[in-house]
Amino acid sequence: MKTSRKALILAALVAALLGASVSWAGDIKGKVNVQGLRSAENIAVYVDAIPGKTFEAPSQHITIDQRKMTFVPHVAVVLKGTTVDFLNSDPVGHNVYWPSVSGNKKLAHNMGTWPKGQSKPFQFNDLGVASLLCNVHPEMSGYVVVVATPYFGVTNKEGEFEIKNVPDGKYTLKTWSEDGKPATATVDVPGGSSSVELTVKK
Amino acid sequence: MTRQPSPIGSASLLATTLGTGFFLWLILGSVPRTPAIPAFARKYQTSCTTCHNNYPELNDFGEAFKKNGFKFPKDDETFVKEPPVMLGAKAQKEVFPKAVYPGEIPGGIPIGFRYSGVATYNSKQPLAIGYLPRTDLFVPNTFTIIAAGSLGERLSFWVDNDISAGGADAAAGLGDGYLRVNDIGHYVGLPKDLLNVRMGQFELDLPFTQARSIDLTSYDIYSQASIAGVLGTTNNPFMFGIPQRGIEIGGYSNKGNFEGFEWSAAVVDGSNNGVALRNSKDIYVRVSQRFNLERDSESRKEVQAAGPTGPRDHTSLRLGAFYYYGRNALFPSGTITLPSGTSPIADIHEPFYRFGGDFLFKYRQFELYGLGMYGHDENHMLVIQNGDTVTGFLPAAPVTFSGGFAQANYWIYPWMIAIMRYDLVNSPTDYQTGGAAGNGFSISDTRSRISPGIQFLIRANIKWAFEYQHRWQQPIPNSTELFRLNGFETGFDYSF
Repeated sequence: MKTSRKALILAALVAALLGASVSWAGDIKGKVNVQGLRSAENIAVYVDAIPGKTFEAPSQHITIDQRKMTFVPHVAVVLKGTTVDFLNSDPVGHNVYWPSVSGNKKLAHNMGTWPKGQSKPFQFNDLGVASLLCNVHPEMSGYVVVVATPYFGVTNKEGEFEIKNVPDGKYTLKTWSEDGKPATATVDVPGGSSSVELTVKK
Repeated sequence: MTRQPSPIGSASLLATTLGTGFFLWLILGSVPRTPAIPAFARKYQTSCTTCHNNYPELNDFGEAFKKNGFKFPKDDETFVKEPPVMLGAKAQKEVFPKAVYPGEIPGGIPIGFRYSGVATYNSKQPLAIGYLPRTDLFVPNTFTIIAAGSLGERLSFWVDNDISAGGADAAAGLGDGYLRVNDIGHYVGLPKDLLNVRMGQFELDLPFTQARSIDLTSYDIYSQASIAGVLGTTNNPFMFGIPQRGIEIGGYSNKGNFEGFEWSAAVVDGSNNGVALRNSKDIYVRVSQRFNLERDSESRKEVQAAGPTGPRDHTSLRLGAFYYYGRNALFPSGTITLPSGTSPIADIHEPFYRFGGDFLFKYRQFELYGLGMYGHDENHMLVIQNGDTVTGFLPAAPVTFSGGFAQANYWIYPWMIAIMRYDLVNSPTDYQTGGAAGNGFSISDTRSRISPGIQFLIRANIKWAFEYQHRWQQPIPNSTELFRLNGFETGFDYSF
């Protein structure tokens, strides 16, 4: 009798400890529908800032390449504080600059020119969208969307997206797209997958 | 008693020669220009500004593109968005000569179009020298079709034709139309691009192009013809800036990179209007050396220099020299019209030459360039007996001229370019004979003008240009008064 009680208490303690150490997380999957836009591709979907929560910038850099006179990827979403390596894979001279970050011209920056095979880093410490341009190939364009949380994704050609490992909770989901107005949705992540649909209009 | 030989004094002959010269001067002064080619923008899905800093002027990348047979200087295939149509698999090369050697044609129809119109405002001209309207809206008014591109590994082509000019359906004719064999020296072990061949009709390898100039008016020295008028037989319609029909060989050292020696040599008909005027052919030779003045040695190896705000043209200095030689044929029909009637006359060939030097300096948004040229035509006087028979020729003082131009361009913004140009022609013959229109052409041997201008790239393929010409003083016939044929021009053009 004493043994079974001890076992029960022990089991309860273990369960409590396990419960305390496991944080439940899920994925947010969804689809962005568009109205008046040419394509549902390359729309950034991200969890907006969570009150009272800050996130450390990742140590790992991400790369944006200049290849065949295009920025690859066309849209990159990064957590504030992330360093982006701009690589030149083309045998022609390129240049990367942005005239503002979300209209703030004080945050404009020009990274100059570098030859094929080399890259230059830049740490994005301000929330907003930087429109990447090349001053010698004006048709080139790309975007860096700097957000407050590490929970984000970019839609594919069908408008589908997936955001992994989002802790349980209720969040505000936002979109950014090149030609469309921002869209917002509330999403509840109860553990496991959540599904959401948004509509982006021109 | 033997009559003394009398110099040619036929009023009709004088009028003909002067009229011809004036006509040619007027035509060349308003020759439509060949601009950028949108077909390349479509092929590579890139803006005109990739190759042009103020179209049709080429930047360093555009120069390299042109020299490489209208292909990107490196890894061209990776940039082509419109793949070509293969006229045979590449492996067919091994089968040759038992099969037709494989080639290619552009995937999309490589055609661009351009409209250009110029409005002019002229200063008041004395009626004594003829009527000239104060304003003329959009003349010349041209619509041009341009096709160019690559036909495979070592072949490229260019054709441009003014479909209409001036009035409705008026055809102005072919500008350039040629086939180019690139790097033909490869087959005899020469370094890359040291030997290329071009054949057809083309603008000579001039120090500064006239056909693809950014200026609204031609360079005066390019339009200068040698016409002796009452001073002799010289009546040479040759002008430096006109397209020619012929064959040209040429090349670039340093593997086509932005520095080094360039050369060309051409054998041409001497004209491009109708059948050849004579049996003899003209030759033209040009050499130049470009010095790359960039401090960064790595940047000097690239097609464009690496600037702090992006690729740009190299700081550079180019020095060049050129020489043209021909033999103008007079009286090929074997007759000459005198006041008394038609006289038989032996044909005569009058050798002529042009030579000169040029420079081009580039530094950031600033360009300064210029050219100086000397022209010399052999000249004769007719020996006329009994007033109606030409019995021979006597040597006469050669017809000579000299002159040139200097121009500065400054990019205030990438879309706003300020221009200042100075033209100078020294032609004692024009002064002595009263010039092209039979009136006092200038008050001295020398005539000059200053042409300030400004150009706006409204879009990469749309331009609005302004130019003012402050010209030399001319005497009003039968008067001591002087006037200047100043003018203001504004023109817009667009390509698509």
